[in-house]
Amino acid sequence: MTTREINEKARQAYRHAVPEVWDEVLSDCREQKENMLVMTLPRRKPWVARMVGLAACLCLLIGTGVGFLRYRSERAVDATVSLDVNPSIEIRVNQKERVLEVVPLNEDGRLIVGDLDFSGSSLDVTVYALIGSMLQNGYLNELTNSILISVDNSDPARGAAMQERLTSEVNLLLQTDSFNGAVLSQTVTKTDELQQLAEQYGITMGKAQLIKAVLSESTLRSFADLVPLSINELNLLLSRETAAATHVEVIGAASDKAYIGEARAREIALEKAGLIADSTTAWEIEMDLERGVLVYELEFLADGCEYDVEIDAVSGEILKFKTKRHSTPAASAPAQSGRSDSVSTTELIGEDNAGEIALEHAGVDSRDAARFRCKLEREDGLLVYEIEFYAGGCEYDYEIDAASGAVLKYEKDLDD
Amino acid sequence: MKGCDTELMIDTTAEGRCTAAELDAMLTEIAAGNLQALEQLYRRTRASVYAFALSVLKNPQDAEDVLHDCYVAVWNGAAGYHSQGKPLAWLITVARNLCFQRIRQQKKTEDMRSEEWALCLPCERGLSPEDRSILSVCMEQLSGQERQIVALHAVSGFKHREIAELMDLPLPTVLSKYHRAVKRLKKIMQ
Repeated sequence: MTTREINEKARQAYRHAVPEVWDEVLSDCREQKENMLVMTLPRRKPWVARMVGLAACLCLLIGTGVGFLRYRSERAVDATVSLDVNPSIEIRVNQKERVLEVVPLNEDGRLIVGDLDFSGSSLDVTVYALIGSMLQNGYLNELTNSILISVDNSDPARGAAMQERLTSEVNLLLQTDSFNGAVLSQTVTKTDELQQLAEQYGITMGKAQLIKAVLSESTLRSFADLVPLSINELNLLLSRETAAATHVEVIGAASDKAYIGEARAREIALEKAGLIADSTTAWEIEMDLERGVLVYELEFLADGCEYDVEIDAVSGEILKFKTKRHSTPAASAPAQSGRSDSVSTTELIGEDNAGEIALEHAGVDSRDAARFRCKLEREDGLLVYEIEFYAGGCEYDYEIDAASGAVLKYEKDLDD
Repeated sequence: MKGCDTELMIDTTAEGRCTAAELDAMLTEIAAGNLQALEQLYRRTRASVYAFALSVLKNPQDAEDVLHDCYVAVWNGAAGYHSQGKPLAWLITVARNLCFQRIRQQKKTEDMRSEEWALCLPCERGLSPEDRSILSVCMEQLSGQERQIVALHAVSGFKHREIAELMDLPLPTVLSKYHRAVKRLKKIMQ
């Protein structure tokens, strides 16, 4: 039987063994999609009744408000409230907090606003209607739960009051049966730079200001990197300290359900390091954006070593794993270590490195090495890696010091 | 290019060997909320995911759960997928993660029922006696890593270098384990 035949048999066997699970997958995915949709049975979701009531009020207001306001011609924009989730929408109101204009700033925003006409309605009702639309269209859901409310008011005192009021109202709206929303709010300090950035990237000044706040934490990212992120993702990147420093109020927690979670990230790091939680200390975990990908960055100490790990937040793949000796210089001496009894696993060079050392010494490319074997052994009280491989018709045997990586013994024989 | 001759060109076209570009396109669609694209991805890759999960967990029921969870996870996480040209490897990594989570959960509650695995494969699944036979050998005679390497190579068509990267092993180790496994399979299946 050839290798090809074996592979083919294995392939067929596994393929025949695969169960059919599509129906369950489909129904679970659909269920998630539906949780975002407004249920048409008002008794099941209390907030829907509120929405229906508000929508009715809204219709009424649009009907009556227009007539009332037209002759007052209070057309001056007194304040701008912007909402950002993925959709970006600007609401311009006059002194009486009546809506003058609702301007969507991106495609998602246009979808939300649709052809609704809010002119003349009150600010609050408009905000409710827009958020209701976002919930209905699935922009706010279990996985993406954060909304940014930015207030830009000519009168700072009124602006602050507006911000507080809208924030608590929206927060109530978002505590539904199916998920808990997070609300970020801030007052916008309009500057030329902010305006320019907003225009350049097609986002609200509010989002631009939030991005600048997140950027202030680290010089490694650029503004352009953060523009495509949703408010939920920016919320995950924003630390409590920065939020306080830049006057962004945060209620609720950003959803990390689309990600593996800090607990799982911690497990993955421990697994890779070959350690148990009890032997580690000084943990620091945070989410960051690296080369356009959301990652968990973990740092911890164990046994005199500092570990630095980066894990893809969606797949759990380890993107970076660095260890550094944290303590006394004596431990990093390259000389032979005879005190093998007290050598803990973290001080050994590892099979990978030992293998590389042996191959390099032999002048053999890893691709040419066959039947590679590596085993940790104790030789005369010393911990060594015993390595064996075949290449170019020869058999190679190596003994590598497990702590220092020194080549202690090597042999090359003709393979017969 | 020398050195790669041990890697066979496996034709995995039952569901059709998908190119990375095709899988990437599906994932983009899935991120946009397209359930049909998810089904397409499922049909084309489920054998790979199941084979890998079964080779890690040995238990068909657990592997079935991971198979299901994997595609729901893809549905949730597709928006966070950033193409690096290796969509199948990404998918397997998601599956691997789910497998380890399950192992962790089980360690807390019950022992692995690995010896009873063969009894768990339902009869109606269209497995021939030879299928059962080779799967038995894989489960009982190969080590965990050997089994995973065989599954990844034979079912998903990964090259040994790709497997080394996926499983975080040095290439020579993958090669030697693969050959050992194939040798044992040949010997028993004769």
